[in-house]
Amino acid sequence: MDITLLLQMVGIAMLAAIIYTIIGVAPGTDETATIAPVILVLVLSGLEPILVLTFFMSAIVSSKLTDSIPVALAGIPGGVMATPQVEHALILKKHGLTDVTIRKMASGSVIGTLVSVPVSLLFAHALIPFADVIKEYGSSLFFAGAIILALISKNRWVALVSILPFALLIEGLRHLYWDTGVVPAGTNVFISFFLGITIGPMIVTLFGLLNKEKRDRLERFGKKDIYFKQEKIDGIKANPFTILTKKEIGFSSLSSAIGSIAFILSPVGLTTFLGEVFTSRIKDPVKKASLAIASMDALANATYISGVLIPLIALGIPLSPTAMGPGNPLFNAPPVFTIDHNLHHILSNGDFISATLVGAIVALAITYFLTIKYSRQICIFVFKRIPHEAMLGLFFSLVLLLAFMDGGWMNVAGVFLVGFVAGTLHRTGVNYGVQFMTLYSAPWIISLLANL
Amino acid sequence: MSHHKKGHQNTQDHEKENIEVWEDLVHIKDLLLALLICSVTTLSGYFIAPSEPPKPLFFGLFGALIGFLITSIIIQPKRTFNGTKEEK
Repeated sequence: MDITLLLQMVGIAMLAAIIYTIIGVAPGTDETATIAPVILVLVLSGLEPILVLTFFMSAIVSSKLTDSIPVALAGIPGGVMATPQVEHALILKKHGLTDVTIRKMASGSVIGTLVSVPVSLLFAHALIPFADVIKEYGSSLFFAGAIILALISKNRWVALVSILPFALLIEGLRHLYWDTGVVPAGTNVFISFFLGITIGPMIVTLFGLLNKEKRDRLERFGKKDIYFKQEKIDGIKANPFTILTKKEIGFSSLSSAIGSIAFILSPVGLTTFLGEVFTSRIKDPVKKASLAIASMDALANATYISGVLIPLIALGIPLSPTAMGPGNPLFNAPPVFTIDHNLHHILSNGDFISATLVGAIVALAITYFLTIKYSRQICIFVFKRIPHEAMLGLFFSLVLLLAFMDGGWMNVAGVFLVGFVAGTLHRTGVNYGVQFMTLYSAPWIISLLANL
Repeated sequence: MSHHKKGHQNTQDHEKENIEVWEDLVHIKDLLLALLICSVTTLSGYFIAPSEPPKPLFFGLFGALIGFLITSIIIQPKRTFNGTKEEK
């Protein structure tokens, strides 16, 4: 590999690490909504594929590492994936162990990354012989996926019933665009519908605000109280292997390996489940909580990395919740990437390995150091300087931009419609996974329905 | 959207008037302002860009960042710190 490219990779990985350290800390930021639009923009801008993957890897490693910081400091999850950790972090906080928590979390993340990268690479290669069989059933597989995800979700019947009508909405809009000539016939509007689903819940809330009665009935709050304990985080023992106990290292590694192989399952579900299984027999609350914290962070990292790497290397279709969500633009971002021409087809084995390693190592080097040393300062800066309104404004405008680029003003209205329906479904209990799978299989579902 | 915020204008900042959107608290008027500013800067960036791709996208993205910075400066986060002296 030539040195210029390597330097570019390091540079873009550093950029991603800095951006996602801040976004990771910001409370409530969903991984799909914060990573996917940015990756999309990078892909569409014509950035070299290997640089896009490097950026992505660095972004997920650093946001996974930092989204647990506010959990430790204030009991507020920095993202969806950090939610299962809250109760354990609060126990440690009660015992005045906030600084220990952060170190354990960061160390767990390091272990998760170190374990999942080789496991994913090996497992992906083991899967390659079966790839053709799996890919042959592409569209129907997504439909099956939608049904399976619906069946294993908490509100299975609502989710199941939503699949056909939602597919109808998506294909209906596409055919309307073709008919009116807004989009050339046969071109599937995809990106902006995907984003519409992602920001669906927010769109529903915004629509609700336009209704005066509803607005007046909304629950009102003062300011969000954030309790910080006055304690010094001193002495930088930056070696993850001395911060964690042997048992914590062992369980973190084991859960990372399991998480990597079970890449098809929901990362949040898996984190909660394995975290409970591993810690259920420990009596001492502090030991239990710190083991849970370390292994959950390890697992969150591992499921994210493997969830993208394995489908990317072995299959080329986004067959996991992570690949469907934040990693989606790596598989499908027309016109640059499509299901038949994406990173899977463009990058070589060596490219995958080098992009993953550079992204992960740079992110760990920067973010791990920063979190161990400056977690308080970062957290206070983000909480005091970055209003939630600005975050919402930023992502809303990115969606607006991409919607307009996809199909003009008509598609802006279309994305609002998709967002409104998707958000309403989300509130009724249909999770993102089912909706994304439906988006992928919509053309197949509709042709099936038409031929019945 | 903008004429809907009139009713909330003369309320006071420290009273209970924030609502929850996406796991954190926002003030309705500030939220509308943020959405408006970011949308305008983003689309302006897109439209003033030379029409050779990927420039419109980059200008749009740059506009979004400008909007983000402006809103971060003019809007106060709805969070308070308790039980601690604030560090710099």
